[in-house]
Amino acid sequence: MFSYYLKLSWLSIKRTPMLTALMIVAIGLGIGVSMTVLTVNYMMDKDPIPSKSHQLFHVQLYTYGEGHRNNRMEDEFPYQLTYQDAMNIHRSEVPLRKTRSLSTGFSVIPEAADMPPFLKSARAIDHEFFSMFKVPFLFGGTWDAEVDQSPREVVIISKELNDQLFKGEDSVGRSINLATIEYTIVGVIDSWQPAPKFYDLNNGSFNDAESIFVPFSLLPIHEIPSWGNNNGWRSEKINTYQDKLASETMWNQYWVELPNEETKANYQQWLEGYIDEQQKIGRFQNKKAAASLKNVVQWMKVNQVVPSDNSILVWLSFMFLAVCMINTIGLLLAKFLKRAPEVGVRRALGASRSEIFIQHLVDVSLIGLLGGLVGLLLGQLGLMGVKHLYSSYSQLVHMDLTLILIAIGITLGSSVLAGLYPAWLICRTNPSVYLKIQ
Amino acid sequence: MLKMNNIKKVFRTDLVETHALRDFSLEVNEGEFVAVTGPSGSGKTTFLNITGMLETFNDGRYELDGKDVSKLNDNQRSKLRNEKIGFIFQSFNLIPDLNLFDNVDVPLRYRGFSAKERKRRIENALERVGLSARMKHLPSQLSGGQQQRVAIARTLAGEPLFLLADEPTGNLDSLMARQVMQLLEEINQQGTTIIMVTHDAELARRAQRNIHIVDGQVSDYQQLEPVLDVAEPKTITA
Repeated sequence: MFSYYLKLSWLSIKRTPMLTALMIVAIGLGIGVSMTVLTVNYMMDKDPIPSKSHQLFHVQLYTYGEGHRNNRMEDEFPYQLTYQDAMNIHRSEVPLRKTRSLSTGFSVIPEAADMPPFLKSARAIDHEFFSMFKVPFLFGGTWDAEVDQSPREVVIISKELNDQLFKGEDSVGRSINLATIEYTIVGVIDSWQPAPKFYDLNNGSFNDAESIFVPFSLLPIHEIPSWGNNNGWRSEKINTYQDKLASETMWNQYWVELPNEETKANYQQWLEGYIDEQQKIGRFQNKKAAASLKNVVQWMKVNQVVPSDNSILVWLSFMFLAVCMINTIGLLLAKFLKRAPEVGVRRALGASRSEIFIQHLVDVSLIGLLGGLVGLLLGQLGLMGVKHLYSSYSQLVHMDLTLILIAIGITLGSSVLAGLYPAWLICRTNPSVYLKIQ
Repeated sequence: MLKMNNIKKVFRTDLVETHALRDFSLEVNEGEFVAVTGPSGSGKTTFLNITGMLETFNDGRYELDGKDVSKLNDNQRSKLRNEKIGFIFQSFNLIPDLNLFDNVDVPLRYRGFSAKERKRRIENALERVGLSARMKHLPSQLSGGQQQRVAIARTLAGEPLFLLADEPTGNLDSLMARQVMQLLEEINQQGTTIIMVTHDAELARRAQRNIHIVDGQVSDYQQLEPVLDVAEPKTITA
C-alpha cells in the first residue's frame, strides 16, 4: 500500500502545485535556517579527535602569586606555562607521549628569485606531537627523538606550503630558508585541519593549522619568537630572550598522552611533587598552587569553544522552524479539506480511518522530504554566507553525512508532527456529507 | 440478509434536533431489487448511508449479512463495506485525477488483492460496462452516462452482495438513464441485491419492491412485478 500512497501523494502534489510549493518553501526556509545554525554549532562542538580525546591532556600549573588569577577560567588556572615549567615537566617519564608547544612564525625566503618572501605561521613542538595528534604524513616523517634534546635545524612543512614551494614534489631532504636560517625538510604532512584547533585554543580556536613545524629545542638557539599569547602576572624586566626564558611569563603549552586512569593518577602525583619541589626554591607560593589535567573535551569546554550565544541561536532557529511548521499546518488543512470529497468516496469504497490517516501522513512526509531538500540547499547557501562573513569558520561550514541525516530526520519528524492534526481531522470527517455534494 | 429493527437517527445541533429516521424497520432479502422513494428530507439518503455504514445510528439494531453492525469498530465496518457493499451515487463520485483503470482500482486496493487479480477484475468490470477501450481516459473525458458506468464498474469489480444506489440516474438524460437502469437490472439478475433511492416513479416501478419513506418511517410497501427489458444486450457500448 505504501507505493500506492506515494502515487496518490504525487498526484495530490500535481493537483495543488501552488499550495504544495508554499509548503515546500515554508519547510525549506525553516530547515535551511535551523540547519545553518545547527551545522556551525555541531561542528564547533564536535570532538576533533574522538579516538584519543580522553587520553590527551593539556597541562596547567597554578603558578600565579597571591592575588592573581585567570578570571576567564572557572578554576582560575592560567592557560599556559612558563618556559622553565615546560622544560622541567618535560623530564617526567610518566606520560606515554608528551610535547611542548609554542605558536610562532617565520618569514619564508623561497629559492626561486621570482617569488618574494612571505610570512607563515609555525609551531615549535617535540617529535611526538605528530603521533599524539594523529597528524598524517604525505612524505617522510617526524624528526628523531634525539633532536628534542640535541637541536638540529630540521622542519616539517604542510602540503600546501610544499605545493607552493616545490610544486607538490617529495621535498624531503631539501632545504627551506626560514628567517635566514636553512632548515632541512624531514617530512611533509598531508591535509590536516582539525576543527576546532584543539591543541591551541587560546590562539584562535578555529584558525588554520600551521604550515611549518620546527623542534621546540631550537627556541633558545634561534630565539624563536612567540606569535601567540604571552600572559604575565608580575612585573619583570625582560630585556633579552634569555630573560623571557627565565621569566614567570606564561607563553608555552604542554600536552601529554596518558592512556589510562592509573597513568593519569601517577602523572598528577608527579606534578604535585614538582610543585612541592618548586615551592622549596621560592616559586608557587600561592596557597592555590596545584596542577590540572584537562582532556581535549574538557579543554574545549573550559575554553568555551562553543559560545553560550550559539545555544540561544540554535533555539531561536528551531523556534523559526516551529513558526514555519505552524504555517505549514494551516496550508495542510487547506489542502486536505479541499480533498475531503475524495476522502468521502474512499471511505465509501472501503478505506478505514487509519488507512486515510496513513495516506495523508505519507502525503505530508513527501512534501516534508521535498521541503527538506530545499532546506538543505538553503542551508548550504547559509553556510556559504557564514563562510563569507567569518573566514575563521571556514573549516566548520560544511555539512557532513551525519548532519544531512539529521536534517532529513528533523524534516520528516517535524512534517509528520505538523501533519498529525490535519490528517486526524480529515480521517474523522463524515464521508456521507461529501458524497451527495461532490 | 439485511435487517433493520427500530432504527433511530437524530441529527443534533445547538438549536435543532432533527429526527431523520424514527423506529425504522426493514428487511431486504438476497437478490431483491428494492426502490426507495419519498419526498425530499424524508430520510431516504440517511437510510442509505446507515445501510452502507457511512453513518451511525442512535438506537435500534442493524444486521448485515448476519453481523450486528453496531458492535463493529471502524476497521471492521470498513472491511465489511469494502467486501459486501458497492455504492453508486447521483454525481458518480469518480476521482477526477485518476484514470478509469485507477478509479475502478480504488476499492480493490483496500481489499488487498494482488496486482494480477486487481488487473483481471478491473478489465472484466470495464468490459462489462463497455468501456474497456477507455481505461486510460480521465473521467472528465467521458459523458455523464459513461461516468456512471465507470462507477458501476468500480462496484462490480468488488463483486459485492449489496449495491446501494442513490439517485443513480438523477444527473443523466432519459436515454442514458435507461441504459444505466438496464445495467442495474442485469446486475440484479446475476444475484446482486440492489437498494436504489430515487425520485423517479417510473424507475421505482421497475424494481421488485417499492418502499415509500415519509418523515423517517416506512409508510408503504409495494410488492411489484419487475418490468425488465430482457431483450437488451448485456454489454453496453459507448
